[in-house]
Amino acid sequence: MKKYNLIYLLTTLVVLGCSPDTDYESLNKDPNNPADVSAESLFTSSLKNLMDEVNDIDYRDAPFMLLAQYAQQTTYTDESQYDIVNRGISSAIFSTIYMNVLYDLADAKSKVIGDPFKAAQAEVLSIYAWQYLVDNFGDIPYSEALNIVGENQSIAPKYDDAATIYDDLVKRAVSASAALAGSDGFGFIGADLIGNGNRASWSKFANSLIVKLGVRVPGDKYKSEVEAAFSKSLSSVADNITMAYQGSKPNTHPSWPELVESGRNDYVVGKTIVDLLTSTDHEDPRQDVFFDPKSKMNNKYVGGVIGQKSGWSTHSKLGTIYFDPTFRGVLIDYTEICFYLADAAARGWNVGGTAATHYSNGIKASFEDMGLAATQANTYIAKPKVAYTTATGSDDEKIGRQLWISMFNRGFEGWTAFRRYGGAPLVPSKLGEGDFKQVPRRLTYPVSEATQNSKNYSSASSAIGGDLQKTKVFWDK
Amino acid sequence: MYKIKLLCVFGLLFSQVMIAQLKTVTGVITDESGAPLPGATVVNLNTSNGVSSDFDGNFSIESSVGETITISYVGYTDQTIQIGEENSYNILLVSNNKLDEVVVTSLGITRDKKSLGYAVQELSGEDFQDVKALNPIESLSGEIAGLDIQSYNTMGGSANVIVRGYSSLTGSNQALFVIDGTPISNSTPNTGDMKSGRGGFDYGNAAMDINPEDVASVSVLKGAAATALYGSRAANGVILITTKKGSKKSGLGVTINSQILFGSVDKSTYPEYQYEYGQGYGGQTDGGDGYWLSKWNGSSAVNTTDDASFGPKLNGKMVYKSYNMIPELTALYGKLSPDNPGEPAGAPLSFFNTQVIATNSVSIENADENGSFRLNYSNTNISGILPNSSIDRNAITFSGSRKLSDNFTTSANITYTKTDAVGRYGTGYDGRNVNQGFRQWYGTTVDLEMEKYVYEQTGKNYSWNMFGMDTSGTDPNTKNHYFNNPYWMRDKMANSDTRNRYFGNVTLDYKINDDLKVLGRLGFDQFDFTKEERIDVGAVDPAEYYSSHRTVSERNFDLIVSYTKSITDKINIDANIGGNLRVNQWDYMTAQTNGGLNIPGLFALNNSSGPITSGDVSNYDATKKVDGVFARVSAGFDETYYIETTFRSDRSSSLPINNNRFNYSSISGSAIISNLIDNSNIDFAKVRANYAEVGADTSPYNVFSSYNLVAGFGGQPLATNPSTFNNPNLKAESTKETEIGLELDLFNRRVGLDFSYYNRTTEDLITPLEVSKATGGSALFVNAGAIENKGFEMVLNLNPYRSADFNWDITVNWSTYTSKVTDLGQDSNGTDIEYLALGSFQGGVSLGAKKGEEYGILRGRNFIYHENGQKLKRSNGAYQRTTSNTEVLGSIIPDWTGGVKNSFNYKDINLSFLIDIQKGGDVFSLDQRYASLTGILKESARLNDKGNLIREAVADGGGVNMPGVNEDGSVNNVYGEANSYLTVEGYVYMPEAAFVYDASFVKLREIKLGYKLNDNLINSTPFESASISIVGRNLWIISSNVPYSDPEAGISAGNVQGNQSGAYPSIKEIGVSLNLQF
Repeated sequence: MKKYNLIYLLTTLVVLGCSPDTDYESLNKDPNNPADVSAESLFTSSLKNLMDEVNDIDYRDAPFMLLAQYAQQTTYTDESQYDIVNRGISSAIFSTIYMNVLYDLADAKSKVIGDPFKAAQAEVLSIYAWQYLVDNFGDIPYSEALNIVGENQSIAPKYDDAATIYDDLVKRAVSASAALAGSDGFGFIGADLIGNGNRASWSKFANSLIVKLGVRVPGDKYKSEVEAAFSKSLSSVADNITMAYQGSKPNTHPSWPELVESGRNDYVVGKTIVDLLTSTDHEDPRQDVFFDPKSKMNNKYVGGVIGQKSGWSTHSKLGTIYFDPTFRGVLIDYTEICFYLADAAARGWNVGGTAATHYSNGIKASFEDMGLAATQANTYIAKPKVAYTTATGSDDEKIGRQLWISMFNRGFEGWTAFRRYGGAPLVPSKLGEGDFKQVPRRLTYPVSEATQNSKNYSSASSAIGGDLQKTKVFWDK
Repeated sequence: MYKIKLLCVFGLLFSQVMIAQLKTVTGVITDESGAPLPGATVVNLNTSNGVSSDFDGNFSIESSVGETITISYVGYTDQTIQIGEENSYNILLVSNNKLDEVVVTSLGITRDKKSLGYAVQELSGEDFQDVKALNPIESLSGEIAGLDIQSYNTMGGSANVIVRGYSSLTGSNQALFVIDGTPISNSTPNTGDMKSGRGGFDYGNAAMDINPEDVASVSVLKGAAATALYGSRAANGVILITTKKGSKKSGLGVTINSQILFGSVDKSTYPEYQYEYGQGYGGQTDGGDGYWLSKWNGSSAVNTTDDASFGPKLNGKMVYKSYNMIPELTALYGKLSPDNPGEPAGAPLSFFNTQVIATNSVSIENADENGSFRLNYSNTNISGILPNSSIDRNAITFSGSRKLSDNFTTSANITYTKTDAVGRYGTGYDGRNVNQGFRQWYGTTVDLEMEKYVYEQTGKNYSWNMFGMDTSGTDPNTKNHYFNNPYWMRDKMANSDTRNRYFGNVTLDYKINDDLKVLGRLGFDQFDFTKEERIDVGAVDPAEYYSSHRTVSERNFDLIVSYTKSITDKINIDANIGGNLRVNQWDYMTAQTNGGLNIPGLFALNNSSGPITSGDVSNYDATKKVDGVFARVSAGFDETYYIETTFRSDRSSSLPINNNRFNYSSISGSAIISNLIDNSNIDFAKVRANYAEVGADTSPYNVFSSYNLVAGFGGQPLATNPSTFNNPNLKAESTKETEIGLELDLFNRRVGLDFSYYNRTTEDLITPLEVSKATGGSALFVNAGAIENKGFEMVLNLNPYRSADFNWDITVNWSTYTSKVTDLGQDSNGTDIEYLALGSFQGGVSLGAKKGEEYGILRGRNFIYHENGQKLKRSNGAYQRTTSNTEVLGSIIPDWTGGVKNSFNYKDINLSFLIDIQKGGDVFSLDQRYASLTGILKESARLNDKGNLIREAVADGGGVNMPGVNEDGSVNNVYGEANSYLTVEGYVYMPEAAFVYDASFVKLREIKLGYKLNDNLINSTPFESASISIVGRNLWIISSNVPYSDPEAGISAGNVQGNQSGAYPSIKEIGVSLNLQF
């Protein structure tokens, strides 16, 4: 009897302990998360993340409203003073685009073999995202990027020259445009939140990217590509590449959690834009859309002094359309295309019109987009300080100023318009010293790159002339 | 009836005989060297009378022939003699210290301490029971060399338990807790955001479910050799707890313990405010009367919208305060109130209540030759310092054993605890932490008594921080800007949690013969934990209800065969072989509402304003199995030389199939040199040395990658790649440790010393290596990284004085270590990775590991120093600071830690106190960083060296002249402005280095004054024994360098330390403890 007890114990233990290795392995596979997913779900997720990124106004993730001086912070003024480093914003942008947009798009592409339409859709979004990164940082990891696992694994990818990346992006946009001109493949339909699988719409998007990339670089480098593409690009406000957000989190417009749900009051409108739009020689009707008429002080809009604490109760607020959770997100719109074409025409490129025509079209498109009447636009365009022929400054400055006004709330494009063209009356920071004094010309690389990709980070920093906010991206004047 | 009478008569006769033979017996008690032992206890077991020996070891006691007396003395084996005809006895007591001391080691195996080749330090259960801390683990603080305990002053919050330093980069560094051979979970359910100071609650660490009343003894196994048989997870040290078992009792065997402790805030750990200036950020006075800019009906209104105290200088003017702008408060609405300088009746400290901890327990125990049992019930009730905060904990423990036959014994220990908490304290930078306001963003002239009144009158969330008046001249806006009414918040938004837990073991012992035994044991530990967090409608933050359920369990099946044999007179063998199967399971489910709540005060998922999506829920299910076989052989020669070796082979389901087995072994030896030398000053001496290797696995799901599903959009599914990529080529981690030690007892046991030196290297750490985000991921699991820990530990026991009535003992613990990061892996170019982030704090400070430096460095912006050592100033009188935020500003690792415990015994009275010391280590204070800008602190309204208020403009003789130099090294005497949030002393200009402080401290950790009723008195009571004591904890911070805060304050247990954000003050506790046995 006693012996049996012992044997029983031993047997129990041996049996329990000796599951085969394969059983052990199966315990190590997560039952709650899939080992594989559809290309559709990756595509939709990338698209939404890209849309959120470029439409976000949260100063912790996307401080561009502040850099473009459309808005001013009320109490915590770091970003308004051009301290973009303190809150690690570069890192948020860098990681969102690489990890949550580009990597997932590349993965989606690898799963759509045999459907060139789908591949082209993913490609167009990728090109958009790459340009966004280059325009933010300058040189970035490109040719060796997105290889955390696999045959070409690289956990410390080298940085590529920004101008060279542009060459490749233009090439890629041209071939995506060609693929979309064909008829092969079914495309993402339901998963396509911006075009519902409309091939024509994607084709316009691809050609608009050629215009946007090609015109951004000064000189005539991409003249032929732009001349070939412009007529196939967005041609009306109705063509705008937008996405309708939804009424509840997490699918609201990204500004809603910051402006409404949080109950916080972090922004008032910036003095720079308020003063220009309300000046007697502009009296821009868009002021009553961009700003909240109820927040006038003594019948005047009051903007916060850039870089200075600006009390919520003593300054004017953003227009009410920006507080709507279902406000549309925009990737690219007809308004900006018009201004790019104005620039192209001013350079003597053959883009179907004069600089002045495209310039006026851009202003009209902006008015239309803001729900204002064409007559209001015409009156505005007729003002001597607005009309292309009589407005002050160089071609670049005229285009830059109006592009900057039209890009209100699209902070990144507004800031980029200032960097590319000048013209907008942006001011240095009131308090910043050193690299934080002038309006940044780029974002500095994430601090993590200096530690996790140190060798490549160092070479890239010296290649661009120092990892500073004042260093200019290659297309910057 | 007749029989009883007869018995009585017989008894009377018998007692007559006994009384007749009563006499006084005398004697002298000496130790082996012939030295007298003063203060030894002599008890007549028949009468229960007892006496103590005098200074020369003499005693005298009443007794009769045939009675039994026992002589006992701490550290010596008891001796029992039967009284014969003689009236005088010479008693020789043999020291049991070291020579026969038995300690519990790995797997619950008991060993002679003298034979061990590694360090083990023991504590009695009393150290756990003397002062019942909020978290019983805290009781170990300062008691053990090499054991570092930190807790964070929150009710029922976690304790960080680190043995011999941090040796894992990203994995857990917490010691393993083992109760009666069964490991129990010590996980902390706090979120990552909470641990890095971004808000949340401290739900404690699971080991706090140990009921202090059940603890008989604690031994701490520090090194790898001591813990090798537990495998990897014991690499961080093991705290072995042996619970009380039933013992034979003369009375009913009932013990009652009661303790009540009252706690109050230690004011030295809370800010001192200025009360001269009102709310505002500065620069907002209107210039007319130098007063408020905001006007209502022509009169000034307090600038309630600003959560700072750089407002106007107060002068008693009549103004509108927040409570004058609340329409429902008709008695005060629209009336003016005087704005007087001076401390308001309701200053922040008035918000805190007296903390009360009441602990009551009752136990029943008994034993006979066939078995024993013990049953304990304990209740602990805590009411915290914040309104509406309490914890109630009930614990029931049963332990029993029964001899089934001559060689078959069965036993079981089972503990059930239920802990219910309401209103745990909010932590970190979060509106639910009142200290975010009181320490950082606040109007110091706010009267909290009025806040309370406003809440009581209206039931609504009107606060001192309402938007109030703007310049439009319309009626004030009563919506709150950043802060809720603290009384409303504590009342309406209390979180709650419940933990049901069962742990214990069932054991069968089978004795095959005198040499060979088999033990089979099932150990189990399971808890179900539910936490609920709430933000009500009307709060500044969006309303939310959050609910999380976790079930965590571990089962261990052990089979251990033991063999002991004396091969010859001189050679002893002691060996085990065994097997273990461990099964861990985790099952978590979390859900929260989306976009607010529809009905105020209804905290339920179905009250969600928006639809609950996959972004609002999560679940995690995992099982891990580890099976292992092990062997241990120990041989002793002549009771002088000992050698031991262990081997273990483990297979873990968390590792890849082709690398899932890992083997490791240890060897240790010791020599009792006091047996070899003849010196009467040396009572005992032993040298020991060991070398051990230990392997370690990892958590589940680090091998195969999977996708994340996120909330759908308009019916479309969304999925993303993970941010951390897994690795199918992982292998086990490895720890190698060498340790040497010396144990000494000198001068007739007046001096005892235990000294250890160790050198531990942990390598191939399974680390989520942070990679360039341009790879498409943020981290990749790899075997990378190595840490080298070296340190010394010393325990010194002194007995400066002993006599019949008085004894004085001193125990000193001291330890020091360095944790050097020697490798962090390489990137794909073969470049060494230099830095690994461990945590990033709000305020621009990060915690990390840097290759070649100590683990746990704090980084941020520093001052810029001239080569003459002075700080460089700017032209506006502020300091210059580095652009780079990666300057090393300090380290969380202390230079050394120590404890000194003094115990005095005078007859029936004992007094002991413990001083706990930390030297070095740094902490970043977000509290000070923000307070530097909001003008709340006393020093922001001080006089400058010209005798003027620094808040006057520099042009008017105000401002501050901070010591510093110009670029050329010449002295810079520029005064900087200090009259608004742009003060040169504020963080707008100051680098983070200005807010990193030396965390050294000296604390009076514990004090106890006890009185035990002596045997003469106890005989007149119904009790077997009774004692009463006055106890105190954290009564005095003797030395500290962190302004307005407890240097130990922080956020939560875990690897992220060195961060004070909304820190809670230290609590001074004092109370009474009662112990009765009958």
